[in-house]
Amino acid sequence: MPHYISVILDDERYSKIKGTPLEEKITYLFGGALRSLIVEVPEEKSEKILKAFDKARIDSRGYIEDIPVAFRRAVFEEIAKAKSLDVIDKVLERLDEIVEAAKKEDEYIPPPEIE
Amino acid sequence: MPLIKTPPPHGGKLVDRVVKKRDIAEKMVAGCPTFELKPTTLPDGTPIRHVYREIMSVCYGFFSPVEGSMVQNELERVLNERRLLSEWIFPYPILFDISEEDYKALDVKEGDRLLLMLKGQPFATIDIEEIYKIDPTDVATRTFGTPEKNPEVVREPFNEKHPGYMIYKMHKPVILAGKYTIVNEPKFKEPFDRFWFPPAKCREVIKNEKKWRTVIAHQTRNVPHVGHEMLMKCAAYTGDIEPCHGILVNAIIGAKRRGDYPDEAILEGHEAVNKYGYIKPERHMVTFTLWDMRYGNPIESLLHGVIRQNMGCTHHMFGRDHAAVGEYYDMYATQILWSKGIPSFGFEAPPNEVDYGLKIIPQNMAEFWYCPICQEIAYSESCGHTDAKQKFSGSFLRGMVAEGVFPPRVVMRPEVYKAIVKWWKVYNYPFVNRKYLDMKNKELEIDLPAMEVPKA
Ligand SMILES: [Zn+2]
Repeated sequence: MPHYISVILDDERYSKIKGTPLEEKITYLFGGALRSLIVEVPEEKSEKILKAFDKARIDSRGYIEDIPVAFRRAVFEEIAKAKSLDVIDKVLERLDEIVEAAKKEDEYIPPPEIE
Repeated sequence: MPLIKTPPPHGGKLVDRVVKKRDIAEKMVAGCPTFELKPTTLPDGTPIRHVYREIMSVCYGFFSPVEGSMVQNELERVLNERRLLSEWIFPYPILFDISEEDYKALDVKEGDRLLLMLKGQPFATIDIEEIYKIDPTDVATRTFGTPEKNPEVVREPFNEKHPGYMIYKMHKPVILAGKYTIVNEPKFKEPFDRFWFPPAKCREVIKNEKKWRTVIAHQTRNVPHVGHEMLMKCAAYTGDIEPCHGILVNAIIGAKRRGDYPDEAILEGHEAVNKYGYIKPERHMVTFTLWDMRYGNPIESLLHGVIRQNMGCTHHMFGRDHAAVGEYYDMYATQILWSKGIPSFGFEAPPNEVDYGLKIIPQNMAEFWYCPICQEIAYSESCGHTDAKQKFSGSFLRGMVAEGVFPPRVVMRPEVYKAIVKWWKVYNYPFVNRKYLDMKNKELEIDLPAMEVPKA
């Protein structure tokens, strides 16, 4: 069974894919309150992800969760570049770089700029 | 059906073992040998328990009728039947454990009073009734059960991945048994101080300030999302001739695991639910209990029943996977316990139907999800659009938070999210990490006033 990674589209990310064929692939959740793109991950590749990040796990819906922010960010970057959801190989090519960036996340994640 | 009233404390009377008069406290501790409390740690040094939290919960009556560290016969009885020597049900061993080396260095015997120091100050005493040894691994195994002995609900043998199992496995082997007494009342730091309602105080607030006749308890160790809020609101429709008057949130505050939300965010997140009117404060209040959660699912639910009955609740909501981690227990183990009992754990009937049992009434609840067809947050036992469900997954939300995405208000209330961000800015991190664990272990939730110990 394949697993999934959900990439949330906030306004900034949405603006980067607006007007592309990806727009049709947006999944609307919670009555349209949340936009996301869902990337399918074949099982042998999700195993690779679980191995690279010790906190990562598959939740009850089959989604890969508790993965580093750096990983999700890379997934979105590749989506925006390729204008396609078929990007997991591209992301895995960058795995070493992502693992490095993720290490810093254990100590610090910048808080959002809200009052 | 007669109207439901506040149940008596478990065991009949609230334990109160806090000496507030300084002169009496000084007399009690004069000339006592002293022992500085230490955290229980994993082999790699990670703190997983601090016995001070148990001493607090005993002395302020949360664990009534337990008055201290259990003698050996009582430990056996708890492990075999979940009963105290006084017959009242109780789920967990409560033990004051020290290492062989500390025991030798201390040179105490039965009949002695030991002064327990915390953060360098006198904190509490233990009047030693009995000294005995345990095999911590055996206590750990029997506390949680095994698939062979408890086939009704235990699915996998407990192991070092289970945090509660590790708490007991890392207990030191020498047990000093006897009553605890707090001799120097700690002061809670902010924001803990405004959520501190020990049972006697909580009962008084429920009766005189809130004027609630019926109160349903909500267990938490999480920042609430809207799924939790709906659970609270809907579970509260139980009651008698009318829904429960009050909802008492009781957070379990203690050793944390990486990836949890900080305690401060949990308390202020729940507070935001009432402060901003999602469940108005006339109906909702937030409190906590100090306890290093054992994740014992049905066993933990018994402790939750004890605590919240002592706090004055009439009802307790239980979800599936209650206080659970991993797949050691059946996901419905708690609900099985409270609907028909678990004989192998000493319950031929639910805990509120056995002699010397609890009086609090269980409310077993299923799940809430967002249904795009109903266009509302739906109850799993009502909504028939199972394929369309959109679950409130805690890890999905953690991912959203870490990415800095402001969650939609149908998922998490903006004011609740702001409570997360407030503490994120304090700790430079939205979740518990090693730095937070080390800080917490050093600082704890309290400060202790200076107190001189007179010579005998
Ligand atoms: Zn529906």
